[in-house]
Amino acid sequence: MSSFTLGHFSQVCSQLLNHYYGEIVGQVGSYLLRRGNRMLNDIPTATGLSIREVKKALAVMIQHNLVKFQASERNNNVAEYTMIHHNVYCLIRYPKYLYMIKRIYGTSEEILLEILLNLGQASASNVIFHSANRLNEANVLSPSALHQSFQRLAQDNFIIRCPKLAENATLLKVPTLEIEEKEKFAVPNVEIEPIARMLKEKATQLGGHCDSEIIWRVNHERFDIELRNVILVNAAARRVDTTAGELYHLILKLWRESSNPDSPVTTPVSYNVIKDAVRKNDSSPILLEHFDHYLRVLYEDSAGLIDRAGDAGGGQFNLDYSKVFENLACASLDSIVLERFGSKALRLFRLTRIQKFMEQDQMQNVAMIPAKEAKMFTYKLLEHNFLQIKELKKGTSNFAPVKSFILYHVELPQVVRTTLEASYKGLFNAMVRQMHDLTENQRLLEKHAMLESMLERLKGDGVPDEEIAELSDTMPPAEKSLVEKIHLMSDNLTLGQTQADETILILESYLKFKSKEL
Amino acid sequence: MGGRGRGRGNAVSFNIEQLGFGRGEAGPVSVTQPPPLFPSLENRPLPLIKDVENEYILVTQKDLSTRMRNSPFYLKKSEKINSTSYEKELPVLWNRMPAELRDETFTKRLATGKSKVTLNAKKKKVEDPDKIFAKLEKKERNESEVEEDGDGKEDEDDQDKSDDEKVENEDDVEEDLDEEMDDHTDYANNYFENGEAYLEDEEGQDDGEAQF
Repeated sequence: MSSFTLGHFSQVCSQLLNHYYGEIVGQVGSYLLRRGNRMLNDIPTATGLSIREVKKALAVMIQHNLVKFQASERNNNVAEYTMIHHNVYCLIRYPKYLYMIKRIYGTSEEILLEILLNLGQASASNVIFHSANRLNEANVLSPSALHQSFQRLAQDNFIIRCPKLAENATLLKVPTLEIEEKEKFAVPNVEIEPIARMLKEKATQLGGHCDSEIIWRVNHERFDIELRNVILVNAAARRVDTTAGELYHLILKLWRESSNPDSPVTTPVSYNVIKDAVRKNDSSPILLEHFDHYLRVLYEDSAGLIDRAGDAGGGQFNLDYSKVFENLACASLDSIVLERFGSKALRLFRLTRIQKFMEQDQMQNVAMIPAKEAKMFTYKLLEHNFLQIKELKKGTSNFAPVKSFILYHVELPQVVRTTLEASYKGLFNAMVRQMHDLTENQRLLEKHAMLESMLERLKGDGVPDEEIAELSDTMPPAEKSLVEKIHLMSDNLTLGQTQADETILILESYLKFKSKEL
Repeated sequence: MGGRGRGRGNAVSFNIEQLGFGRGEAGPVSVTQPPPLFPSLENRPLPLIKDVENEYILVTQKDLSTRMRNSPFYLKKSEKINSTSYEKELPVLWNRMPAELRDETFTKRLATGKSKVTLNAKKKKVEDPDKIFAKLEKKERNESEVEEDGDGKEDEDDQDKSDDEKVENEDDVEEDLDEEMDDHTDYANNYFENGEAYLEDEEGQDDGEAQF
């Protein structure tokens, strides 16, 4: 994450660390987020924690891919630690990752991913072992089926191998880790029998195993790509209809297979290839029948979801990420302006954005809004930094007073950055409020939870209903309704955070692709 | 300001009509205080989207939070004396981490009963007392040679003295270090991994030699 968003962004990150890993990790993490590269000895003094606590915190964060280290230049035996900002932010997206995996594959892959997220870094056997343990609570699943699920995840690059220890690493105080490109997704041979045996013995830990040196972690970049694709497919579905969304999903897959993930423009894919894919994919009959029309509607649409790049092979189609995300970012900004200021302000905003530079009079005439209102809205937009001013002097006569043109324009990167900061701030506020509510009423919530679990147990044991009703009356209805309210508010705040995260993803992607094209 | 001093001095750079008021109408109210902390919400935000995905996310989020909080990776501030090695408690892949993060199980320290202990310093102490002893001996011998004391007995006395002093010093310095940790950094002690250099300094202090 670039440095200009560090203010609210690092607040969000430290809040996430506090929530998921505790206060100690939160404090160490906040310090490193603000200060960058630091050695072990600088941290205890700045945070007031003991060195033991700091060491534990750093170990936990390195294990969960939130901190990276390298040997300091001055002294090879000491390491410098840096936070990986993006990975800390991605903590908030873990439920979304699980939902995507569940939708694309199924329950066993979802459990594998959840275990890997909990462990941070783990070997394949360990993940399979723990997943089998978790699934055994519901139904029996053999380790070899889980192994295949694991392979599927690796093939689609959702999980990635961590760099391994270099040969002389055991001798160094600060180990060097390296990995080759081709090994990144290669699944090693996993011995199933020891795992099955351990499961039968109901062990809680897998002992030593053959692939214990090959460690895996979640591949955040791949999940980011997937989240972006979901946004694009939803955009296509909203613009046209769900069948178009299906078609677009297929085309995205083709692009992803053939293009370099880092390039801002995908490699073109020809019409015939798309047609083959549609036919092979067992799509809905409507798509097969009207495939031509859907494709045409999508590439003629002004949103830029598909660009026609040439005529070979029946037509070449590619996708320009910067253009599409610019349109998406503009759409987000438009809806923000609409909800905050009203439709008249939106008209002014869109006009100025499309026409680039406009004078006040021009704006109110073209937008057909009465003068005073137009001026008021213009000022409001200016105040909130949605519009920017550019002054041009005119007239060089030394005798007349100097007049100047005042032109209004929308400088998109700047507006996006301001909105992004506001989104982080909103996200942070929601998290703080949620934490506050939950801790303040903790005693009440715990009492309620205990009561609920007791009632469940009694009901399962077949205790008569009157006794259960009596027991549940021990908690007065006022308290019960309070607990309800708290749960509702907490849920709403979580939903709000999720939606804020979507906006953040769109705005971040726009900025990312904009900087790539320069 | 542009109109001042040029041509006729009483023309202003803007036209009052340009601002949108006719003559005689009042201007906008001027702002006399910073904007309120919670400005009134003019337009209510749109309702939250509640679909299948978000339902799933709600449930998963709560589940994940509970699991993370109960996992061994969640570090709470505990007041108990940390006498057990944390390497066994934290299921972290220790061989992939820098050595300085690893816990050193100490067997000698339990008597002090301090909860805040500096591990690195201890490491220096416990590390090969015999070797350090031998080095001290050698140094003593060198010093005595230089000073032409050449008396074997004195050497032995010195050695014994330094031995006792060393034991005393361990306890003293240990407390010193803890104090240092509380106020300043024990940077100087930890920066040099070389145990030799560390104890040479100690030696010097005892003899009252000038320190630079």
